[in-house]
Amino acid sequence: MDSKDIYDGVTDIRDDLIDGAMSAPKRQKPRKRAWQTCAVAAVLVLAVIGGIILNPGNSGAGITAYALAEAEYPKMAPYPGEPHTEKQYDTWWDDVRAQRRDLGDVSPLLAFFQTSSAVFLSDTAGQNKVYSPLNVYMALSMLAQITGGDSRGQILALLGSGGMDELRRQASDVWNSNYRDDGALTSVLANSLWLNENVGFDQRTADILASDFYASSYRGEMGSDDFNKELREWLDRQTGGLLKEQAEGITMDPRTVLALASTVYYRAKWANEFSKSATAPQTFHSPAGDVETDFMHQRNAQSYYWGGKFSAVSQSFREGGSMWFLLPDEGVTPEELLSDSEAMDFLFSGGDWENSKYLFVNKSIPKFDVVSQFDLADGLMTMGVTDVFDPSLADFTPTVTDVPVFVSEANHASRVTIDEEGCTAAAFTVMMGNGAGGPPDDEVDFVLDRPFIFCITGDSGLPLFVGIVNEP
Amino acid sequence: MEDREIIELYHRREERAIAESDVKYGGICRSIALRLLGIREDAEECVNDTWYAAWGKMPPDRPASLGAFFGRLTRNLSVSRWRRDHAKKRYDGMEIMLSELEDCVPSPAAVEADMERRVLAEAIGAWLDSLNEADRRLFIRRYWYACPVKELAEELHEQPNTCSQRLSRLRCALRAFLESKGAL
Repeated sequence: MDSKDIYDGVTDIRDDLIDGAMSAPKRQKPRKRAWQTCAVAAVLVLAVIGGIILNPGNSGAGITAYALAEAEYPKMAPYPGEPHTEKQYDTWWDDVRAQRRDLGDVSPLLAFFQTSSAVFLSDTAGQNKVYSPLNVYMALSMLAQITGGDSRGQILALLGSGGMDELRRQASDVWNSNYRDDGALTSVLANSLWLNENVGFDQRTADILASDFYASSYRGEMGSDDFNKELREWLDRQTGGLLKEQAEGITMDPRTVLALASTVYYRAKWANEFSKSATAPQTFHSPAGDVETDFMHQRNAQSYYWGGKFSAVSQSFREGGSMWFLLPDEGVTPEELLSDSEAMDFLFSGGDWENSKYLFVNKSIPKFDVVSQFDLADGLMTMGVTDVFDPSLADFTPTVTDVPVFVSEANHASRVTIDEEGCTAAAFTVMMGNGAGGPPDDEVDFVLDRPFIFCITGDSGLPLFVGIVNEP
Repeated sequence: MEDREIIELYHRREERAIAESDVKYGGICRSIALRLLGIREDAEECVNDTWYAAWGKMPPDRPASLGAFFGRLTRNLSVSRWRRDHAKKRYDGMEIMLSELEDCVPSPAAVEADMERRVLAEAIGAWLDSLNEADRRLFIRRYWYACPVKELAEELHEQPNTCSQRLSRLRCALRAFLESKGAL
């Protein structure tokens, strides 16, 4: 017998002895657990704003903006820092669990996400493009609430919903299951309605929007600097200032009857941080030519996925949710993958995929900060939502009866940044083009050094963001 | 998240199991690996290997204590890494710990050389049961959680030398106990 045998014997002592000594003696000063001081978390920050502005032929003359209804967000205990008591952890966990909802059959929702992602991301022209399916879903749900007739019917058909009652329930569940604001993870879908004070508006609609869509409603003088400033400041607040530049371009003019604004803000830490010391410049083969950019590196035991034209891995967030990276095979573009049913099925499968294997993956992922802004109108019309854009057909009678209105603008802006922090070292430069053949036995290199698709799913598993990175 | 929920995630083959494990027990495992190996990259790989090993064991395993289960995997993986690489890398924490544990090795004349690991663990457990709580906690925190002596001394508001002496006495006491139970 030697010291290694003693080590092994100590390793296998009973669980209760181990658990009983896990923490320092209570009478002593609490000791910071080492992981907190050693691990410097990577941060992912991203945001989306989307606005739909309705234009009638009317002018306002009011002065002050005021709230018709304000959404109340659930209270949430702060994420338990270190050191923490069992009670603090349990309180936080109870609050997290209270937000979870059984979303039931989400296949119609996923079909919408799949179709709309393909439509909105199909034309990148070599640029980066980001789209938030959940953001547009929430905005369209609210639009359905304030419209009637075929205008509403077309939106319900696109969202695969059986009616407004069903859609309100679903929107509320989707909102709640994606809500988290505990200091460690921020995931908030915020909504608001901006109303012309000279146009009559049903208070009950504002109340429904507040209770089921967590939307606040404000009235004020359309076209005034103050009201525009309030909208921009609201967008800034809800998106952590990430889309300040894009928000500057959003204005309501005196003819505007109402504006709907939806935002998604998501900020999370990687479950396994990337190490800064392992980050190194590497060539990314962009459509516009090769560029040198910083690549993060990490080796993990995890699932590796593949399909006929792609390979993929995910990177988990510390408090739930994941970021998925789809690498098209050599010679395949991200746009081609968007029209490939297998790739799109995978993108929204949440990892429930037959062609997968648990092995060591050497990831090389470029740091990126991608921003895009585009009008949703053409894409929505392509998908059958046409009447709300047509002044002669738009039906907003459930909300506004004084004047005929229609949607004049549907502006969608998104920004996604990923970053790393920490101190480990690794470098992997081997490129692998992996098609339907499947991965090798134990280890694979996953190098995102050419245009790729990403998808961010929240704790609910639903896609918050989908994007194409052509140039990190 | 409660342990049983994390275990369920493993049994449902949901990859989130690993993220949740890391949230709750990554700190403990990372601490153990880092204290034993002292090289951050190796420690990080060891923790990743822990989740990989846990993924392979659950199912069918349903550990009663998930913290002990993960920590045990990390200790086993750490010592395996030491066995494999110690000739070319300096794993100071492990070297020091094994050197200290030499004091616990019973005389070959008293205890059979190839005592089964399970039997040895039971014997050490029985000896720990016989200690007062403070000594038991000190021994386990040093030799299971691999806490450095300096840190333990701070926890106990003692001088490091005092703490080292207490640990030394405990190691000798364990050797005596194992020798007394040599006929196991």
